Amino acid sequence: MALRSAYSALGGPSLPLKARTTPLAFQLQSRSRNVSSRALSSTPKASQAHTAPTDPPLQSLTKEQKQFLESALRVNHAGELAATLIYTSQTPPIVKAHPHLRPLMKHMYDQEAGHFKTFNHLLAKHRIRPTAMYPVWHAAASFLGWSTGVMGREAAMACTEAVETEIGEHYNNQVRELLKWDEEAKARGETLGEDLEALMTDIRRIRDEELEHLDHAVEEDAKMAKPYEVLNGVIRAGCRGAIWVSERV
Amino acid sequence: MSSPMALRTLLRTPPALRPLLLQTSRAAYHSYDHAEQPVYREAERTILSSALAHVPTHGFTQEALTLGAKDSGYLDVSTNLFRKGTFDLVKYYLVSQRMGLKDRIQFPDENIGVGRKVRGLILERLRANVDTGIVTRWQEALAIMSLADNIPASLRELGALADEMWFLAGDTSVDSSWYTKRASLSGVYAATEIFQTTDQSTEFRDTEQFLDRRLEELRTVGGTVSGGCTGESTAE
Amino acid sequence: MSSLSLRASKRFKATPPTFTPWVCHACRQRRTFAFTTPFNQQQPPPPQQQQQDDNPTHFGFETISSSLKASRVGAVFSSVASNYDTMNDLMSLGIHRLWKDHFVRSLNPGIRPTSGKEQEGQRILDIAGGTGDIAQRLLDHATTINGDTKTHVTISDINPAMLSEGRKRFAASPYTTADRVDFLEANAETLPTIESNSIDLYTVAFGIRNFTHKDVALREAFRVLKPGGVFACLEFTPHLNNSLLDAVYKRWSFGAIPLIGQVVAGDRESYQYLVESIERFPRQEEFRDMIKEAGFMVPGGGEGEGWEDLSAGIAAVHKGVKPV
Repeated sequence: MALRSAYSALGGPSLPLKARTTPLAFQLQSRSRNVSSRALSSTPKASQAHTAPTDPPLQSLTKEQKQFLESALRVNHAGELAATLIYTSQTPPIVKAHPHLRPLMKHMYDQEAGHFKTFNHLLAKHRIRPTAMYPVWHAAASFLGWSTGVMGREAAMACTEAVETEIGEHYNNQVRELLKWDEEAKARGETLGEDLEALMTDIRRIRDEELEHLDHAVEEDAKMAKPYEVLNGVIRAGCRGAIWVSERV
Repeated sequence: MSSPMALRTLLRTPPALRPLLLQTSRAAYHSYDHAEQPVYREAERTILSSALAHVPTHGFTQEALTLGAKDSGYLDVSTNLFRKGTFDLVKYYLVSQRMGLKDRIQFPDENIGVGRKVRGLILERLRANVDTGIVTRWQEALAIMSLADNIPASLRELGALADEMWFLAGDTSVDSSWYTKRASLSGVYAATEIFQTTDQSTEFRDTEQFLDRRLEELRTVGGTVSGGCTGESTAE
Repeated sequence: MSSLSLRASKRFKATPPTFTPWVCHACRQRRTFAFTTPFNQQQPPPPQQQQQDDNPTHFGFETISSSLKASRVGAVFSSVASNYDTMNDLMSLGIHRLWKDHFVRSLNPGIRPTSGKEQEGQRILDIAGGTGDIAQRLLDHATTINGDTKTHVTISDINPAMLSEGRKRFAASPYTTADRVDFLEANAETLPTIESNSIDLYTVAFGIRNFTHKDVALREAFRVLKPGGVFACLEFTPHLNNSLLDAVYKRWSFGAIPLIGQVVAGDRESYQYLVESIERFPRQEEFRDMIKEAGFMVPGGGEGEGWEDLSAGIAAVHKGVKPV
């Protein structure tokens, strides 16, 4: 019955998994990734010749895994938003007082902007909801950047140090979790899957760059900031709170 | 981009339920490499899809469910498998239409703007109501969905549909406009669907015009009322 | 003086006072009979049966051997049978009627007659339904709401005293004259007189916690049900969801109920057993898993709940559908 077939769209769709679930914008990317690494499966229909080749899908992710990925990527996205805004607001006062810091600030900002772009893409691709606190973090990060920038170079660097410490730890935990999943998958005789492996590589790279920022901040006398413990404590606590909220809201 | 439609939808929802408009599904990470768990079990799927075939004649009633169960080789009493009875039937219809939307319409031409794609998706989803013969019985379904027990699940489905439409239209914004876009699309879709149930014109042309007027509203008012947030507009 | 000192020494004796619970004469006779049944005498039973039946199980908070449980439970229900309904009203403050009404309404027994087609009536098996209150509701719903005059209910109970209460209830009922109800004395764990795949709906209300082997009863239910048939169970839960309410509820259960039993029915021990047996029943998730293990599909999705809580979790309705 025609009616029945319309309703049984839930079982047995005709297009391969990737084509069915990916709008064309994303298919272009996966296509370029797939053609080199995998042999094409035999898909007889001509209309499907341009879509990505199919592999049998891996065992489905558990609900906990999906929730972890969702909240992890949401927090990362919020974190990078905050980082870019902090650098944007810190740069004018800092560079005015210390022109020699312009290249360093620009370098750090460019890297953060790159991270932000990565997470923007991942959130859209995997259909993850961004944090509802977006405007709040927007305002808070801008304010934090401006106020520490105005307080001086050391304060600004202390702020950077505090934020990067928290974020570095956070990324580390995520990588550890993904490695655990990788081991479990290998025990089953499967891989993590292309996307998750790429995610793990990305997070590792981003974590390393954040730790590099941390080192730069310490080099630039972050620890010499006048109310160092206060600044460090308050900002780290604020970061932890923001991470907790963004995981859920 | 904030809009009066989004605001109206938000304000009409009781405060306790407003957060539900913002949630799409429980575990939102969408994987391309891993298999997706089926939403319905085999038995549920067969009974409910058979029952939907009886809805044009019997409506969204226990009758339709019982006939569906009997058609699938089950007993009358097997409808106890569905805790919420007729609401489970309505929800199955909504879920199956939402998940079938990507198979019903594809956009081979990349030059169509996001706004046009959204319009096409809404029209296609409304066309599904007509093709399946459900549109004559949809007011019953709306009544069932508005029962207190069922409101949260219904709102969640509406949100999921809006999310699906934006995704298929290729929208990639992930700032606060993510929320306002889904809220406004939910409002537009819900209003248009209700209008469709009363539309007697040939080929539902009045519904199409109604939809165009709502989308125009979004464009003009939404363009002037935009906060400090960045985000793509619905215009192409 | 000497008599005074004698009395004083009696007062300060170290031995604790002995307490013999008052039990009515008929019950004491039945109890002594139960205790001197052949199971208890020093006959060596066949080895396999001994292994199976001597597994310790719970009888309220007591631990007894499995072979004794049925007879002990039998004694309890024989003793409470005559004022079972009154006692239910007092213990649950009348709410048990609402639970049972909701249970039957949600099951929706009875087949609406469709024009032209002649159909056979639904066959319902009500287990541990001795006094017939569920059976009455099932037949009333089928007849009045669904217009089905062919539904047939078999009331089964292991205890003859409970069944005789049921017979009394249906004595003057039109359902008896229309041959829509019959009575079966049987143990739910083995129902040899009921054919496999012959029952549309199997109900058990407030009975399954007394079964010695619930999993055996579940498998037997699976056997007798037709493919697509429904297993439905209404039962108390061991704990409420809200811990504060739970504390209050437990005080009522363990404090007031045996007291009511003593005052109204003259039988504290039986009601103590009833309350303790509720405590021993598995939680909703566990029981749902037992139902799934017997082969049933539970409603509410694969990972979701398969039961419905009533009155903040005091009782729960579990359902299962036999796959086709």
